[in-house]
Amino acid sequence: MINISLLMIMVATALGLVWLRNLLAVVMFSGIFSLTAASLWVVLGAVDVAFTEASVGAGIATVLGLASLALTRTEHEKRTRVFHLPALIVVLVTGAALIYGTLDMPGWGDPDAPIHTHVAPRYIEDSLAETGVPNIVTSVLASYRGFDTLGETTVIFTAGVGVLVLLGRGRRYPVANPRVAAGGGPGRAPAAPGSEGAAVPGDSGEMRFKAILRVGGKLLIPPILLFAFYTQAHGELGPGGGFQAGVIFASAFILYALLFGVPMARAVAPASVLRGTLALGVLIYAGVGIAGVLLGGNYLDYSVLAHDPVHGQELGIILIELGVGITVASAMMTVFFVFAGQDPQQVD
Amino acid sequence: MFGFTALGVLLAMALVLVRGLAGPTVYDRILAVNAFGTLTVLLIAVHGFLSGRPDFLDIALVYTLINFIALIAVTKFAKFAHLGGPFEQRSWSDV
Repeated sequence: MINISLLMIMVATALGLVWLRNLLAVVMFSGIFSLTAASLWVVLGAVDVAFTEASVGAGIATVLGLASLALTRTEHEKRTRVFHLPALIVVLVTGAALIYGTLDMPGWGDPDAPIHTHVAPRYIEDSLAETGVPNIVTSVLASYRGFDTLGETTVIFTAGVGVLVLLGRGRRYPVANPRVAAGGGPGRAPAAPGSEGAAVPGDSGEMRFKAILRVGGKLLIPPILLFAFYTQAHGELGPGGGFQAGVIFASAFILYALLFGVPMARAVAPASVLRGTLALGVLIYAGVGIAGVLLGGNYLDYSVLAHDPVHGQELGIILIELGVGITVASAMMTVFFVFAGQDPQQVD
Repeated sequence: MFGFTALGVLLAMALVLVRGLAGPTVYDRILAVNAFGTLTVLLIAVHGFLSGRPDFLDIALVYTLINFIALIAVTKFAKFAHLGGPFEQRSWSDV
């Protein structure tokens, strides 16, 4: 009942996303979509996924969407009302093929489905004895599927590096950056009449007088950081882990940057430090694997890290989760600082 | 009892969604997003008690937190059209 209602809300939100032309509203609605998806994961019992969806999809993605909107300087999608028949046919055929593909899938909750008979029983029965970690999601993610997670962490690292390479020098050499230069050129789309976002750039000094927000935000930052550490440390016992903790940790800095400006936040977390920690996390992860090889095991086999295999597994999982958390936090902070740190006055 | 509450929350979600879609001003949508986030937290809490597993309430905590930060970002964008400011030199007393 709750499932169906949430799915209907998701469909309505998705249709709204297609229908809306105001890009600010689109960004906000994608946040709503993520929130609905996250509550659906909770209802279905996938709390770790819900945790990630809530922190990444509803939080960071919204903030980054707004930051990129600020860089493009346009709030309205261009209206193209051309009826394109081949495109419609392609979409319909693909959709029909996808729906046809689902017909062969086993029913929801079917105990004989391959996913419930292949490796899942082994994880459920043996993972606690083999790794000593009560949260099966964490033991699968960090130990059994350690290679996959190393790949994911590397993807996040690469994303951070990519943003740095493309936009990282935008503030120092504003004209050398084609994207920013195009946004500030004479041909840029004028702000739509009546849009509340068309404030004069540079009047953000007003933020100085938002005393309640600033004091309230400052008071919130320590609990947010503490909660990030709790999520990091608690990932073995309950929902949580490096990905979520990294995002929550970064969101504290993003909150600070929103309230006091990116230059102030940059003073707390300098670019040179973030570049180092961005690589450090992946290095820790890969280093744990190398340490396993040196101690006579396979790559990313944690059993050889300590005298007791179970203890070694726990140690390895804690270390690689730490690496994931460091890289994710640095990547999120880097991307936000670079996106939001483009000074509109310098860009103009 | 919890079932009725869940029903009410879902109904409120649908109404808020309609307001967000209809707009017309950006402030209607900001309020809609904020109310939707709060309702999501309520739904998770109600569902926790409905299914007898209220131990996932710390996820609801994340939702509140994240929704708050996203809301500040949206309002700042709506007012100043960018997120990074202020850029001018400032006193160091705020660090």
